[in-house]
Amino acid sequence: MSNWIPLWVHKLGSPPTFYRFAGIVMPWMMALALLSGALGLYGGLVLAPADYQQGDAYRIIFIHVPCAWMSMFIYAVMGVSSVIALVWRIKLAEVVAMESAPIGAAFTFITLVTGSLWGKPMWGTWWTWDARLTSELVLLFLYLGVIGLYHAFEDRRQGARAAAFLAIIGIINVPIVHFSVDWWNTLHQGSTVKLFGPSKIAWAMLWPLLTMTLATKFYYIASLFRRVRTDLLALEGGKDWVREIARGEDDR
Amino acid sequence: MSHAGTSTACAAMLRRDLTLAWRRRGDITMPVLYALIVTMLFPFALGPEDTLLQRIAGGVVLVTVLLAMLLALDAMFSSDIEDGSLEQLVIAPQPLALMLGMKILAHWITTALPLIVITPLLAGMLHLPTAVMPVLLLALLLATPLLSLLGAVLVALTAGTRRSGMLLALMLLPLCVPAVIFAAGAVAAAQQGLPWLAPLAWLGSALALAMVLAPLACAAALRIALDA
Repeated sequence: MSNWIPLWVHKLGSPPTFYRFAGIVMPWMMALALLSGALGLYGGLVLAPADYQQGDAYRIIFIHVPCAWMSMFIYAVMGVSSVIALVWRIKLAEVVAMESAPIGAAFTFITLVTGSLWGKPMWGTWWTWDARLTSELVLLFLYLGVIGLYHAFEDRRQGARAAAFLAIIGIINVPIVHFSVDWWNTLHQGSTVKLFGPSKIAWAMLWPLLTMTLATKFYYIASLFRRVRTDLLALEGGKDWVREIARGEDDR
Repeated sequence: MSHAGTSTACAAMLRRDLTLAWRRRGDITMPVLYALIVTMLFPFALGPEDTLLQRIAGGVVLVTVLLAMLLALDAMFSSDIEDGSLEQLVIAPQPLALMLGMKILAHWITTALPLIVITPLLAGMLHLPTAVMPVLLLALLLATPLLSLLGAVLVALTAGTRRSGMLLALMLLPLCVPAVIFAAGAVAAAQQGLPWLAPLAWLGSALALAMVLAPLACAAALRIALDA
């Protein structure tokens, strides 16, 4: 069964293999994140022309928009690995789901803060009960709920399974919340960048934005791998492979 | 060995929970008193002007009822966990989802129904126009079961933890944003003389969806929370 999945994917699901794999990949991802982040910020803050209407204030989108995309992307990752964790009971999927939550919450928080910093000069207010802002706030609370539930259990694996279930309920609810607040009140501008069809944004502004998006993705992977490695060590504390690592640390 | 039929078991479950609630009648009145007191505080905080109170009446009543339900939600499974009858329910041959559905129904009858009964009083305290009252009651009739169902899933998830009160609020309140929006939207539309059927229809469809899915989710959540 499932012969089309190469063997190394299955192997990656085992904690020791993933621990080594993540250890090799993580520094590269961090380097890529720093590089593309520096490039994207230079392109966005220095090279890109000022907006004819918003002046230089629009430049916050180079942080705001990638973070907003990440806040949703990470929730999707969390939801998918939660399903995997609950259906196949793979320990690694539980760890990935639970360690994604704090990173996602951080990105959501940055999105809200940068958005309100931009909103003050542009809309004349720090906060407004607009649909997108509200659903982003709800997303933050969903993240916090998952984190809170995870830590409320004494047994970590049980907590992870319960919180994974909550994440799945949340993923069903996110479109409903988004749609209902959309219907309720809208002020935020529509999407400018489209995956299909022409985007309504100049190339000089688009490439730094996309570079920043890549940078946040790389950062997420690096940060996630680091967290997962730490968590795996804690979770598998009594196993042989962890003992070997500990012995290696002692010898150094 | 023969098992009791599913419908017999359902009826027994419902009767048991209602009897237990009736034996502790004081607990039933608590959410009602809470709602009355919270509603009473609003005129003190905002000033007793008729026009202002009228404008916010629908929303205040909705949120008050929601919070009162949240207070009572915590107790949905707690006594059953303490005396072990919840574990018996999990290993019983009857489908767990149906049994939990009955528990949720009993919980709704004992907490939400009294709140709906005093809603006219709450709305009257805030001078909600009488013409809007049926819409508010209809909205509550659709929204409160939705909250009970959603809340039951989350209570089941926290069943294995000790401190769950604030956590429950943190988990439930984001999920019930749509219910509040549509219920309040219907009341506000009725107050302005606009058609109010559409938001109520959305609430109804959400309730139909939750009625089918929530007991199943509740059963799955309980299995996760209890297997230690």
